Amino acid sequence: MNSKITNRIALSVIIVCAAAMAAILISMLGYILVRGVSSISWHFLTTSASPFLAGGGIKDQLWNSFYVLIITMILTVPIGVCGGIYLAEYAKPGRLTSFIRTCVEVLASLPSIVVGMFGMLVFVNYFGFKYSVFSGALALTVFNLPVIVRVTEDGFNALSLHQKEGGLALGLTHWHTIKTILLPAAFPSILTGVILSAGRVFGESAALLFTAGLSTPDLDFGNWNPSAPNSPLNLFRSAETLSVHIWSVNTGGIMPDVQTIANGSAAVLVIFVLLFNLCARMLGKVINQKFSGK
Amino acid sequence: MIQMEKNIVSFTNNTVTKELPIQINVENVNIFYGDNHAVKDVNLPIHEKSITALIGPSGCGKSTFLRTVNRMNDLIPSARCEGTISYKDVNILNPKLDVVQLRKEIGMVFQQPNPFPKSISENIQLPLRFAGVRNKKTLKDATEDCLKQVGLWDEVKDRLDRSATSLSGGQQQRLCIARALALKPDVILLDEPTSALDPVSSSKIEELLLELKNSYTIIIVTHNMQQAARIADYTAFFYQGELIEFGQTRTLFTNPEKQSTSDYISGRFG
Repeated sequence: MNSKITNRIALSVIIVCAAAMAAILISMLGYILVRGVSSISWHFLTTSASPFLAGGGIKDQLWNSFYVLIITMILTVPIGVCGGIYLAEYAKPGRLTSFIRTCVEVLASLPSIVVGMFGMLVFVNYFGFKYSVFSGALALTVFNLPVIVRVTEDGFNALSLHQKEGGLALGLTHWHTIKTILLPAAFPSILTGVILSAGRVFGESAALLFTAGLSTPDLDFGNWNPSAPNSPLNLFRSAETLSVHIWSVNTGGIMPDVQTIANGSAAVLVIFVLLFNLCARMLGKVINQKFSGK
Repeated sequence: MIQMEKNIVSFTNNTVTKELPIQINVENVNIFYGDNHAVKDVNLPIHEKSITALIGPSGCGKSTFLRTVNRMNDLIPSARCEGTISYKDVNILNPKLDVVQLRKEIGMVFQQPNPFPKSISENIQLPLRFAGVRNKKTLKDATEDCLKQVGLWDEVKDRLDRSATSLSGGQQQRLCIARALALKPDVILLDEPTSALDPVSSSKIEELLLELKNSYTIIIVTHNMQQAARIADYTAFFYQGELIEFGQTRTLFTNPEKQSTSDYISGRFG
């Protein structure tokens, strides 16, 4: 066959595939947003859910989602970044290192429902954290940690060796080179990865079903004492997140406006995940520009 | 002979008239990468406050040798060296040596300009801060002093807070040299510092090196024989891991002892 024709065929196939992918994504997003946006209102976002009556909102669920996300990030980012630095900079190639790397990969690919079961057995029952924000965050840590490790390791590996040599040749120690030269240079890519993983954590439901629970105590947003049982900041209260709420409303909701609530929640969830992605891109770009100069 | 004359430029810069004191003495150095014997039994004196050029075809071991002098080869897990490099009564190759201290005294500049993606002044102040300098005035004066030494001060004094990566390649390389000078080393190693630069920037670096040799001992790896002839007081010719010939540049270029030296500098191979 004529090589020009082959080229054209290959190009068309690739374009068709890309277009199909974009079409699926856009139609799905469009469907969720078109059906959901109409039910989003200030009232919807700032009212607590009602178990029986129509007109309930998602205030607590939205708060819980962010709270679980923040606690998860506080747990995963420091450990994950340190682990990534270890793998990229200190680990000598060998059996132990490849074993650790395999563990990280397996952890990252665990089905989230399995992580949820594990979380229930270990954090909820064994350690007695009950269905709580903390148990949920620990379960999410299990599958977010390897993502952060990966992102950090990749960020460091993408840096040129020249930077590291430059630091060492100036009489800096290895750690000081990492701290003052490599980590700042890898920061934009690590931040992008962290924000993208935040989107995944924010939308996670299966791992939270058995760990953060399916209910929320009657939260008092005027009480910020973390030890109070109805405080939004209490780590050891159960916390139904937005994506868990979608699932539970859809499967067992008995309020008359189930469909509206589910649609609205789904739209809110998607909008936030989209915002995370946009933020990641923009922040990455801005910081990259700042580092590399005009 | 005609070809040789074409290759050689004037030797006006090679001012060595008497033997300078030896600062680094290299004895029976062998370097291996795994099973590959990269540098074979090299003996070489490095004279104080002079420029020593290491020349030779690609893969002859000159860069490997240079990177051993401040132990940069420690970064490569399979690299191994034997022998003695004496410097200030210590053997640089001693595994127990404090390499961080060594690298403060023997600085290095690389082929690819590698300024840190930080501001121009931060590039010079970073090693100083690590060395314990905290006084802001001292840091500022040192920045100015180093940039003046490399002739970069007038070009960048109004934008010291701009990113170093916004400089041109030649300016970046001079910044890297300035950065190495900040710690006031005794010796500066340069690994093909001009091969990534345009001719104008290269000649600026060459002029700079000729000035710096009044205060520092300089070892430069170059694949450019004219460059060695222009600036080096001493030249060492490496070939296939061996030091074939070492001597004063003028002697080595005009009256080489070995046939292969003569062949290389007359452009017959390499």
